[in-house]
Amino acid sequence: MFLPDNYEFYCPVKTNSGNRALEHIPIDLDSLSSRKPLVITSKDVAGKGVVRKIINAFKESGVTVGIFDAVPDVPDIKFIEEISNIYRNKEHDSIMALGGGPIVDVAKIMNIAVSYNIQGLKELAGDDLIINPLGPFVLVPTLSGTGYETSRFAKIEDLTFSSHFLMPDLVVIDPRMIKAEDSQTVVATAMAALTHSAEAYTCPAKNPLTDTYAYAAIQYIAENLVNVIEEPKDKEGRLALANAAAMAGCALSNTTVDIVHTLGEVVGDMFDLPDGICMGILLPYGLEYSSNKNGYHTADLLLPLAGFDEYAKTSENLRARVAINMITEMQHDLYDSTKSETPRTLEEAEVPRYMLQDIAEKAVSHGSPKFDFDGYLTILEHAWEGKPITRN
Amino acid sequence: MHLPEYYEFCSRVKMIAGHGALEKIPGALADLHAKRPLIVTDRGVSGAGLVNIVTDAIKDGVSIGAIADDVPQDSDLRVVNRLAAVYRENGCDSLIAVGGGSVMDTAKGINIVVSENADDLMKFSGAGALKRQLKPLVAIPTTSGTGSEVTLVAVIKDHEKHMKMTFVSYFLLPDVAILDSRMTLTLPPFITASTAMDAMSHAVEAYTCLAKNPLSDTSAIAAISLISKNLLKVMKNPSDKDGRLALANAATLAGMAFSNSMVGMIHNLGHSVGSVCGVPHGTCMSILLPYGLEYNMHKNGDLTAELLLPLAGPEVCALTPKHLRAERVIDHIRQMNQDLHEISGGAHARFFREVVDRQGKQMVPKEKLSDIAGKALGDGALFYNPEDLDYDDMLMVMVAAWEGVPLDRSLIKRG
Repeated sequence: MFLPDNYEFYCPVKTNSGNRALEHIPIDLDSLSSRKPLVITSKDVAGKGVVRKIINAFKESGVTVGIFDAVPDVPDIKFIEEISNIYRNKEHDSIMALGGGPIVDVAKIMNIAVSYNIQGLKELAGDDLIINPLGPFVLVPTLSGTGYETSRFAKIEDLTFSSHFLMPDLVVIDPRMIKAEDSQTVVATAMAALTHSAEAYTCPAKNPLTDTYAYAAIQYIAENLVNVIEEPKDKEGRLALANAAAMAGCALSNTTVDIVHTLGEVVGDMFDLPDGICMGILLPYGLEYSSNKNGYHTADLLLPLAGFDEYAKTSENLRARVAINMITEMQHDLYDSTKSETPRTLEEAEVPRYMLQDIAEKAVSHGSPKFDFDGYLTILEHAWEGKPITRN
Repeated sequence: MHLPEYYEFCSRVKMIAGHGALEKIPGALADLHAKRPLIVTDRGVSGAGLVNIVTDAIKDGVSIGAIADDVPQDSDLRVVNRLAAVYRENGCDSLIAVGGGSVMDTAKGINIVVSENADDLMKFSGAGALKRQLKPLVAIPTTSGTGSEVTLVAVIKDHEKHMKMTFVSYFLLPDVAILDSRMTLTLPPFITASTAMDAMSHAVEAYTCLAKNPLSDTSAIAAISLISKNLLKVMKNPSDKDGRLALANAATLAGMAFSNSMVGMIHNLGHSVGSVCGVPHGTCMSILLPYGLEYNMHKNGDLTAELLLPLAGPEVCALTPKHLRAERVIDHIRQMNQDLHEISGGAHARFFREVVDRQGKQMVPKEKLSDIAGKALGDGALFYNPEDLDYDDMLMVMVAAWEGVPLDRSLIKRG
């Protein structure tokens, strides 16, 4: 187990997961001094009896719930102002995001607006400019997530916010709320969550507490993702994936963003592919590339991926290779079980080979100074062909 | 990985760890908008020079309101109220607790009084009676064992009314825990051993008892691995800074694990030995740990077996057939106790009959075992133990742990 000379870690998120988790929310709201939450969601999520389940769960608790079910797919700052006014006018005292994606961004950013009571959000966009705790924020995921939901990050228009105060106080994972979804979405979100947790688990900025969250996330995904795709009714598997996503965000928020995350976003953005699908393709090659760099802990990844037995049986110098092979195999299994819909290489994702240089250049302008053009290009070329960087 | 039907996990204490962690306190207090802390500690800690190290590290960044270094071993409500007055008189806005369990509890009690302006602490006792944020509290543990820097409980005695008040609330979690190797560098070997085995017992019970969850599992595994890699090393070389820091991290991880998963019969019997005979908690835990695992083996041997990897490393694990791993884990823990006994020159007790006080007097006379077994029946930890225990079962375990012989597992009633 790696222990750095110095580290800091902060994760305010309480997790409530499992049967009747919704019914526990009023107790937690009470300890957050909240009696009047505003539930925000979209028509798409709310349309399926989901809101009724929340209302029923609160029935005898004395908590008054407001419901706003019209968060648009692409919210803007003007929308944040509107919904913040609703919150203020109806005197709500906490925010409950029901769903994922833009709903969570809206919840986090309106929490800044109503807690700071300001109009100009721009001045708080950036790293750690939010220096006071915000109001209570509860997250109830309805889909398997990427980790972004519980993380310190939020985006709207061209503004990005990053602060520990944006993380939810409570995440409530109730099997009744986790909807069945198409396999492409499951693969994309789970591979993004795997990337976030695997990079957190192997990067030089890790510590025993990021490990705690990342380990559990990686193991849940490794054990359940392929099953959930093959057996969409596997409720326990879905619950495990939702847990993994919540944990991945806690790990992600306490390490630095690494190479696969950065490249995956760039590729996704340039070719209009889901980021998570791109991260999944790139993950084995990115891990392999960084395993040769100083300070990375790629071999450790075998423990959460394969469990105690396999880890103990595999000799130390082979662990990194076996771990990376397992992820490649998982990609192949997903390709098979989604009937070839999940690309295994950038070629299968229809990324033109001649564009790889452009991608690498763009990644350099986005990414961390730890990685250079040649590094990005090496990863991209191998991920395009689907060939390991070192062949042995 | 096991996924419980329902679980909760919360560990919202900000962790700052390292060989220079103390120097980060002023910044951490500033983040919490505080700048005038009351330092709460005890004579032992200040006598060992630890408070000076803390004040040297922070004095340029904060103005210390006052230093209260007279928290007694057996702290109570009177101490809490007296130090709350010191806090107010000196215009403090935050607390720094430097010490072990008694200091932490006292600081948490002071915090309730000064934050809620309480004249009657009793009103806030029980679970969930606190409703809002208290003043900033920074916890600096000086032993690597209890994990109280990450727990949400405080126990305050009222000696006048002969009662104990228990407070349970997430608001009692310290805001910041500081793990700095300088705080445990001079801890005597015998205390290093028993406190580390206390942390080990937290982690092992968290992993093998009924209320386990994924995050208590991963923090428990990390704690076990750090203790087994570092404890003997530190015992042989007490000034090993990295080893000390590893043990401090382990204690915190174990604290996170057990405070989110509860514990079982090892704690159950340990509390009872502590209250009947006054044996230090860590000593009770290290002696009872192998017995609890033996007693429950027919129920949770598969979980115990999984601990062989973090405990003994990949080679031993790979060479041990699966069905023998649980027993190997128990042997390994017994061997750790034996090694600690030898390195500490006999000060680390392996079984209850060799536990002695400072005068060399036996602390657990054999005739007390029935009292201990009886008292253990009323303890809440029993609820989370995999196998049931009645009076006879408790006594059987205590007799074996007193004599230092393995349990005769054929005598365990299987419920």
